[in-house]
Amino acid sequence: MSSAAGIAPWSDDQAESARMVRDSAAGFLDVARARALRGTMPGFSADAWREMGALGWIGLLVPEEAGGSGLSMVEMCALAEELGRGLAPEPLIPCVLSAMLLAEAGEREVLAQLLAGEAVVLTAWQDRANTLAVCTDAAATRRFVPMAAGATHVLLPVGDALHLVNARDCEITTEATHDGGHLGTLRPGAGRAIGRADVAAALDRAALATAAYLLGGMESGYAMTLAYLNTRQQFGKIIGTFQALQHKAVDTKLPIALTRAAVEEAAMDPTRAACSRAKARASEAAMIVGQNCVQLSGGIGYTDQYDVGLYLRKAMVLAPAFGGAALHRARFMDLTPETEDA
Amino acid sequence: MNAITPIEPADLNALEDEAFRLHIRAWIEANYPAEIRNPPKRLHWEENKSWYFKLAEKGWLCPGWPREFGGLGLSPTKQIIFTEELERWGCARSNDHGIIMLGPLLIRYGSAEQQQHFLPKILSGEHIWCQGYSEPNSGSDLASLRTSAVLDGDEYVVNGQKIWTTLAQDANWIFLLVRTDPAAKKQEGISFLLVDMNTPGITVRPIINLEMHDEFCEVFFDNVRVPRANLVGQLNKGWDMAKALLSFERIYLGSPRQSAYALTRLRQLAERMGVWEDAVFGQEYARHRADLADLKSLYGRYVEVLKRGQPLGADVSQLKIIQSELFQRITETMMAIAAENAGLMEPMEGNRNLNPAGLYIQARPTSIYGGTNEIQRNIIAKNVLELP
Repeated sequence: MSSAAGIAPWSDDQAESARMVRDSAAGFLDVARARALRGTMPGFSADAWREMGALGWIGLLVPEEAGGSGLSMVEMCALAEELGRGLAPEPLIPCVLSAMLLAEAGEREVLAQLLAGEAVVLTAWQDRANTLAVCTDAAATRRFVPMAAGATHVLLPVGDALHLVNARDCEITTEATHDGGHLGTLRPGAGRAIGRADVAAALDRAALATAAYLLGGMESGYAMTLAYLNTRQQFGKIIGTFQALQHKAVDTKLPIALTRAAVEEAAMDPTRAACSRAKARASEAAMIVGQNCVQLSGGIGYTDQYDVGLYLRKAMVLAPAFGGAALHRARFMDLTPETEDA
Repeated sequence: MNAITPIEPADLNALEDEAFRLHIRAWIEANYPAEIRNPPKRLHWEENKSWYFKLAEKGWLCPGWPREFGGLGLSPTKQIIFTEELERWGCARSNDHGIIMLGPLLIRYGSAEQQQHFLPKILSGEHIWCQGYSEPNSGSDLASLRTSAVLDGDEYVVNGQKIWTTLAQDANWIFLLVRTDPAAKKQEGISFLLVDMNTPGITVRPIINLEMHDEFCEVFFDNVRVPRANLVGQLNKGWDMAKALLSFERIYLGSPRQSAYALTRLRQLAERMGVWEDAVFGQEYARHRADLADLKSLYGRYVEVLKRGQPLGADVSQLKIIQSELFQRITETMMAIAAENAGLMEPMEGNRNLNPAGLYIQARPTSIYGGTNEIQRNIIAKNVLELP
């Protein structure tokens, strides 16, 4: 089921385009695929990566003249939502970010490899936890690089330029994450300067796309939970007849509805404030929904074999990625002027 | 504000949305009585009738009614703009049960005679209506209502009691849900009846609420004789007719206006109490701000449904839950920072913008009226989540 919650304020063309992108993701909805890749290195499928390239997804936000699909955040969010349903582990959002930066900086050769799914280019933008500030110090160790073991190249903001570094020239250590992937710590090697790009603006879009991915995951975990409430019996009754569980189920739906409203509105006009508001909502909601779904599923929800737990574990990793709820809420506040409207 | 080009009602729909908005705005600002802007309580008829008559005289009293019935026949989009402009200026809600509840019901289900007799009297302000649904033992379980109407010749004889009847003391007519078939399943024995409040046997007793305001009343019926012609729609079909109008109420109750108003007052209070720069307060305030912005986004999606002329589904109930609970949380923050002022009956320092207790108390019933939030959760669980 989807969180029926009114209608997105999109034009008919936008809605149709989003629908087509969603349909193209039908092959990535199987959570069993994601489950099987957990704990492997680099943690995702090279075949799937090339397919994502062939589908035009990696260059979805790259202008057509640079070899991309030239689409907008409406399609990007629709796609990310579908990938979230299937918990796809491929680093699509981090690489969409890198593709935007490579295109903007005028680097065509590695961009072409990336868009084809032959390369994995990760942007190592942060040097510490809990920040939205782009680290531009060439020597700084970079932290929390998602799926770093799969990188062929690393993009480093240095000063006001971007440097492109071969991954094999970097010293990379990884830490396993709860979703079966990993985060890398990276001591950058020497690369070459390729040009300039607005890293902060691209990070806004990555944050919004991550919010959409979390939304898809929330909906899938929630749908599983509703199905469970509709079949499991105790005390001779379907447990979904119990009002305490019904109300908890409704309270789990409300943050999903708010997330969809915030994400789809931001997708249409992705200002920095709108992206921050959507990511703040999604990061907070994904944890609430994830933990409520585990609770509503009872003992089975606490087992590794049951998929509901996978959605919670993904939320644990992605809620803080590209900035968590508190950071984004604070930035939304800073960017939105107080109005005297009442 | 005197250079307003007059526009005939017939031409309002032809205006571009933004031009329409500015036209409505200019007229409201020029004509709304300043002394009743942002009233702290629901106003009585004596206090707001001048505004009712101004709207009536302008022909703008019933923006949603079709033109052939004396309304403006505005498109859904323009009706929403109209409401937004009233809210923006802090216009008081009038005695509007005839306008928003009974009128649309008569237009949809009433006989031609009923339409011709009653609708013009709403438009002229001759009839002020109130709604008799809830009873002392039929609140959330409204369908269990017991006020009876028994046919005797050409009249129904009504006996029973209604409660939580908003502004009944101001009304001269009441529309009632009454039991006409005590043997049928509870929803199937209910009819819809129109009653003149001046009929012998009716007693109205105001109830003082936590605001110390007599907004609600009890209404008693003791052998009240009502002409048979005042039955609306088919006998025993009253429940379905009343229910058909409730989704409108839920989107109205889900409008962000109460929370937006409270948030502005919270900021003023925080500045006065010296906590505006406090980091802990700042985080709580930021949460309310983001919650309000997301509520506005969600509300916009339901407005979009109306704009496209589609029916609102049962999921609109979630809007009412989110709005009322946000409004309450904001006022709870006000109480937490107000310290000793939290117990004051009157606004602090005579400044009506600094009234934490007043807003806190006003926020309490929003999760009770219009179907309690627990009932809304039951509705969503059953009709949206399709739980057994």
